[in-house]
Parts: sequence; structure tokens; C-alpha cells
Amino acid sequence: MKKNNINVEDISDPSIQMAVIEPENLMPLPYPYDTPDAQPPLKKLTDDQKERYESDLDGFLALKLPKPETKEEEDRLVGQFLEGLKKLLSRENNWTFLMPLMMSLEYCAKCQTCNDACPVYIASGKEEIYRPTYRAEVLRRIVNKYLKRGGRTFAKFTGNEIDLNWKTVARLAELSYRCTLCRRCAQTCPIGVDNGLINHELRKIFSQEMGIAAEELHEKGSVLQLKTGSSTGMNKPAFMDIIEFLEEEIEEKTGKKIKIPIDKKGADILLIHNAGEFLSWPENPSAFAIIFEEAGINWTLSSEIAGYDAVNYGVWYDDAQLARVAVQHAKIAKNLGVKKIVVGECGHAHKALIVVADRVLNGDLNIPRESCLPILEDIVVNEKIKLDPQKNNFPVTLHDPCNIVRLMGIVEPQRKILRKIAPLFREMSPHGVQNYCCGGGGGFAIMPSLNIPDWRSAVSGRMKFKQILDAFQDEIDPNIRKMICAPCSNCKGAIRDLLDYYDAWEKTGIAYTGLVDLIVNAMVDIDGPFIEWPDEM
Amino acid sequence: MCSISWVQILSYVTFVICVVGIASKVIKIYGLPIHLRWELYPIPHEKDFRYGGSYLEEVDWWKKPRKKNFLNFVKFLFIEILFVRVLYHNNRKMWYLSFPLHFGLYLVIVWLGLLFLAAVLLALGLSTEHVLILFLQGIATVLGVVGFILAAVGCVGLIIRRATAKQLQGYSAPIDYFNLVFILTVVASGFFVWLGDSRFLTIREYLTSLITFSYAGPLGSAITLHIILFSLFAIYLPFTHMSHAFMKFFLWDKVLFEDEPNLKGGSVESRVTTVLNYKQTWSAPHMHAGGTWSETASKGVDNEEK
Ligand code: SF4
Ligand code: SF4
Repeated sequence: MKKNNINVEDISDPSIQMAVIEPENLMPLPYPYDTPDAQPPLKKLTDDQKERYESDLDGFLALKLPKPETKEEEDRLVGQFLEGLKKLLSRENNWTFLMPLMMSLEYCAKCQTCNDACPVYIASGKEEIYRPTYRAEVLRRIVNKYLKRGGRTFAKFTGNEIDLNWKTVARLAELSYRCTLCRRCAQTCPIGVDNGLINHELRKIFSQEMGIAAEELHEKGSVLQLKTGSSTGMNKPAFMDIIEFLEEEIEEKTGKKIKIPIDKKGADILLIHNAGEFLSWPENPSAFAIIFEEAGINWTLSSEIAGYDAVNYGVWYDDAQLARVAVQHAKIAKNLGVKKIVVGECGHAHKALIVVADRVLNGDLNIPRESCLPILEDIVVNEKIKLDPQKNNFPVTLHDPCNIVRLMGIVEPQRKILRKIAPLFREMSPHGVQNYCCGGGGGFAIMPSLNIPDWRSAVSGRMKFKQILDAFQDEIDPNIRKMICAPCSNCKGAIRDLLDYYDAWEKTGIAYTGLVDLIVNAMVDIDGPFIEWPDEM
Repeated sequence: MCSISWVQILSYVTFVICVVGIASKVIKIYGLPIHLRWELYPIPHEKDFRYGGSYLEEVDWWKKPRKKNFLNFVKFLFIEILFVRVLYHNNRKMWYLSFPLHFGLYLVIVWLGLLFLAAVLLALGLSTEHVLILFLQGIATVLGVVGFILAAVGCVGLIIRRATAKQLQGYSAPIDYFNLVFILTVVASGFFVWLGDSRFLTIREYLTSLITFSYAGPLGSAITLHIILFSLFAIYLPFTHMSHAFMKFFLWDKVLFEDEPNLKGGSVESRVTTVLNYKQTWSAPHMHAGGTWSETASKGVDNEEK
């Protein structure tokens, strides 16, 4: 039964359904999605799925937590959670984020200012459980009541009323996968409290202590990547085949004969792509190869395990997995003797390898690492390749990947490039460090299971879709082709799914691509267009 | 030597506890290990604060001198702490109440500081009619009264808002109301002192007695009540989340704006070496509990659990 007026304590109540998400309650969208029948339906769980899994948070499943069979099992899991929480607050076990976590838990003034910044909360039609403060408050109360001296005695007076039972733990686990970790909330907090960080830390308790994580992030993600070479499952021979295919494609499309350098010792740059590009958007690594060769850069790709896959899902849920993948990337660069690692168009890989793992990679693993965007800016703005912007003579807007922009401060290079190569470039509103997430952050972009893709497109990506529609509202006619430039693999995936979900190409003529694709499309010595519109594929 | 009153003893004890309380909070923060980077832009000390840019926008950023705009950071802090600008931009309704409360309390602190300064000067031998004393006294009086009124307005407003705004109700506990009422009693009692002593001379004399360790003489009931409430609040403050008023400096400085890169041979490197040697005991199988973080991180390709 769905209860109205959900409060923080309700998370422990096994008799209620905490939220029911219906399209008609979601944030309205602009034309042509401004009518109730323009809202795609949301996939519901089957009775069997509801029977087997803990699903009474909001009827969506990211974790597929099986229901415990006995009370003893429930108690054991609750005990494990509490044990994990203690470790999360300990120096040795969680030096990685102890200071940010402690301060965010301690100093929230509960003013609720951050809520209005959260795309998930707003787009959901202000669903109570999606407030940035909701899960943070649940965790804060558990800490204050169960781990602090006198916590239980004064719980009511101090506002720490909460009942820690299996329902609380199970719903908290699922709820930790309703935040895209975009950290927009933290930007608007007058105290600097970071509810995105609290969510990140919650995921760590489940993964590092209880072995609970979204399988796309762990077993089929970082574990697979470290075992086979890529979270896509692509092994070395498959990678080499794809490279051959790319070379043929480049020649066919552009007439250029390019030998993509692999494992070249002593190259200046080791370029690492999100391996999803090779499979879903091979034109992106091809475009990099064309640009780098044309600009005379001494670069290489790697065929080593994880060397051809920049993804680092650990950054969303597990510090050990984060560190392992980062160390593997650094070891490859060290063995190749390159001068630096450059991360391709993948936002979370940028943040993981360049920023977050900066304090994991010490000594000879501390290889300089940078984003591909400044180099591309240098090539384009300083005209190291010849470009004709008229080749991109269609409306273009830019999506700012949170990880690259808000979390790394790389804001202008991509804009300088677009101003140079796309005469009809227009910004979304808001943009830059105030941008909205594509909806695929925090791992959602690569979580295709059950009904999460619908939640992503209808809820977490809704604000982005609104921004895109607003940016093109003056030319929304489907006969006018329009392009979203998304310089991030996961954002591209999330935007692809958004456009599919809303049938946006048919209804509005909006398509998406990467940044390098647009650069190559503008190159003068390439005859035909490089980018392909959906109706040309 | 004159004996001193119990109110004076309370004031000394308050001072010690308040200072020790704040210091222990700050020491605790400085004692925490280095953490992984988790910065959030815009960062005021970065060269492109205007649009939120960082040094990572440059090719080969590690080869370039690191430029930090300290002045911008101070400017940000000044505006943010004094005027709560982030709240102004993101939650205007709250700002109309929160700003007077905070600004009022800052004025009260300045009021106390100015009276204290006057008391020190008197103890050093200046006459009560000296122009400097009169000046300090005058400014203090204006700031004090305005501060008491502003803080009281903010308190009352916030109490009403907490009780009536739907989205605040579920997150407001008895302690939140208690804290606001507590502040209200402190500033209201200060205001009452002023009603009976329009230049706060009694407070100044009391402060002089504290500085000179001399008997304060009999105090009126309004001032006694104010001193007691003020003292209890100053003792209580550092141990509550209300200390966010000054602790937020660390949330910015040590977390959101902390973008110091780990350069070879730099100060970050040695601190990282220390924490990588910490042992972790996480229980999930893939964590391989018992090893150092350094060992955990290298259990990658070759040692991934089967
Ligand atoms: S996190 Fe910040 S903005 Fe949100 S409720 Fe707490 S203090 Fe207010
Ligand atoms: S990090 Fe983003 S999605 Fe998560 S609570 Fe904050 S604003 Fe919402």
C-alpha cells in the first residue's frame, strides 16, 4: 500500500510501498511532449519479480536484492550493515573519504535548500524519498542512534528516530541507486554538505562489507574488466580485430590510410578509450586516430588487460575496485614508457583516473594524466588541422558531462572547439558547472536490467531531456536536423536511450554524437560527411 | 586580593570550554588522514573561478606553475560567511530568516569584542571619558542592539518556518526548536540589559572585572541572567551542529575546494604513502581483508578472486 506523506522513519515500515512512480506525476516536458499521451509508459515489475526481490521502495530494481528467508538471516544482514557502517567511520578502513563523510554527516542544517538542485527529485514530481536529504538523513540517524553514546536514549529529542531493521537496510541499498552522483546538490548547500558523497559512501558499505552491488558495476563491470580486459567482455584478440576494422572503415570513409598504433613503446601519449566506444560508436576512436595522426601526435593505444578500456566503475561504488583499475592503467603506461596518459571521451574515467585516483597512484605509478579536451582544443584552435565549420552547418548543443565539468573544472576547451567548428552552436540552460546530469551518472548508463532503463529515461534523465528540447525549441520541427554533442561515452549512451525512449528523432529531429566526430566532420580534406544521421544508418 | 563571584567563575569556565571545544573540533579535522580528491567546481582559488574552470583545462598542466588566487578565496569566504550568498541564490525564503540570524549573531560577537577592547583599554589606564573609549562604546551599543534585534527576528522567523513549511517539518526535531529558542533567550536577555543600561556600561565593567580578576560587585538581575544564558550557550555551541557557522570553512577548504595534485616529491605524496600502508578489514570477499590498501590496490589482474 502506498502511503502519502512519507517521512524519514517510514523507511523501516514493512507494511508500505514508499513510492509509486507514474508518468502523469512527473515534471512536465516541453513541446512536443507536453501532453499526457506523449509520456511513454513505465515498465512495471512482474508479480514473480516482486515476490522474489525487495521492491517496495519505488517498484524499480537496480540491485535485485533477494528477500531473506528467515528472521535470523535478516538480523545477520542488519548486523553486517552496522559493522560496515562502523568501518565506514574508521580511519584505517575509510581514510579515502572519512573527512568529507564525517563533516557532511555532522553539519547539515536541514534547510532543504539542496533538494531543488536535484534533477531526480525535481523530475520525479518531488517524490519524498528522492530528496538528496532523505537517504542522508536516514544514514545520519542510524549513526547517531546506533553508534553514538546515549544515541537511543535521546533519539526522539535529537531527531534521530529511526528503526534499523532489514527493511531499512534493503531500502537504503536500493535507494543508494537512485542518485546519479552528479553532486549538483552540494553546489547549492550553504554549508558545503555533500549528499551525493553520502550516497557514494552508502554504496561502499554494501559493496565492501556485504558484497552487494549492481551486478553491471561489479561482476559484469570492474571484475570482468580486470579479468578479460574490458567490462564489455572484449578480450585482446577481439580488440585487435576491431582495430583492423576501424582502419578499414577509416580508409573507406575518408580515403585515409591510417595504421593505428598499438603498444608502441616510448610514445608520448597513451590514449585510453571507454571500450564501449569500440562496440557502439567505433567512429569515435576512429575520429581520434584521424585527428591525432593528422596533427602529428606520437601516440598509442594499449592491448593489455584494461589498457583498452578506460572505464573505472569503482568510482561509483567501491574504493578497492577503483584503486585496482587505476593501478592497472598506470602500470600499462609505465611499462610502455609513455610520457602521459590521455583519457578519451569518457567522463567518469576522466574523474577516476585523473582526479580521484590521484592519491592512489604514488611513486613510479604516478604517471601524468590529462583529459583529451585540452589537446583537442590546442589542435583545433591553433589550426593544426584544416577545418571548415560550414560542414557542421546544423544546430548543435553541448551536453556537459558532470564528471568532466562540475567535478574537474574542464569547461571551456570543448566550447572553444565548438565555437570554431559549429556555427549554429547554442548552449543549454543552465550549462557549464551548473549543468544537469544526462541521467546515466552513477552507473545508470550501463545498467540495462529490469525496469531501470525506464526509470533512467523517465526520471533521472528527464531534466536533461527537457534541457535538450528547450535548447532546440525554436527549431523543433523534425525536418530540421539537430545534434547534441556529448563528449562522454556513458552520457552518449544515456542520451541515445533517452532519444529512443521518447522517439525523439522521429518527433523532433534530434540526434547525438561525440566531439571528435564533429571535428572530423569539419575537416576539409575529407570528402563526404563523417557523422551519420539516424536516417542514414 | 578580592574574591570573585560565581558568575565570574562561570565566565572563565565558559571561555575555557568554548575555546577547548572549538580547538578540539579543529584539531580533530587536522588529525584526519588525507582523503581522495573530491573537489567540486567552481573553486574560488582557481584562475577561472568566473566560469568554474580549473588547471586541468591546460595541456601538460603538471609542467606549469600552480597558480592559486588566495584573494579570491578570501573574498568568497568573506561574502559567504557574512552574507550566506549561496543561500541567497538558492533559497531566498530561508535566506530572509537565516541571514538576520547569522548576521545578528556576528554583530553580537563584534559588540562583545568592542566592549572587551574598551575594557582592556580601561584596565591599561585610559579614562572612562577618553574619546577612544567613548567611540568604542558608541559603536558597540549600536551594533549590539541591531545584532540582538536581527538575531531575534531570525530566530522567531525560523521557528515559525520550521513549524509550518511542509518540507522542513519532517526534518525538524525538538532539538532544532530548542536551539533556536535558546539563541532567542540569549539575544532577548541582551536586549533587556540594554533597556536598563543604554550604553552597556555594566557589561563593560563586568568585562573589566574579568580582565583584572577583580570582584565584579553586585550585578543586576537582567545582566546576571544574560551572562548565565550567554555562557551556557557558548559552552553548548561547539558541541552541536550549530558549529557549522564556522566549521563550514573546513568543508570548503579541506574538501570541496581541495584540488591539490599529487606531484612527485610533493607534500601530498608522503601523506599518501602513509595512508596506503593502513590495513583494511572490509569483509566482502573481493576486499581480501587484512592487507594494506597498497596491497589491496595491487590485487588486480593477477589476484582477482576466482
Ligand atoms: S545538505 Fe546543505 S542544503 Fe541540504 S539540507 Fe543540509 S544544510 Fe541544507
Ligand atoms: S548527487 Fe545529484 S542525483 Fe544525487 S542527490 Fe545530489 S543532486 Fe540528486
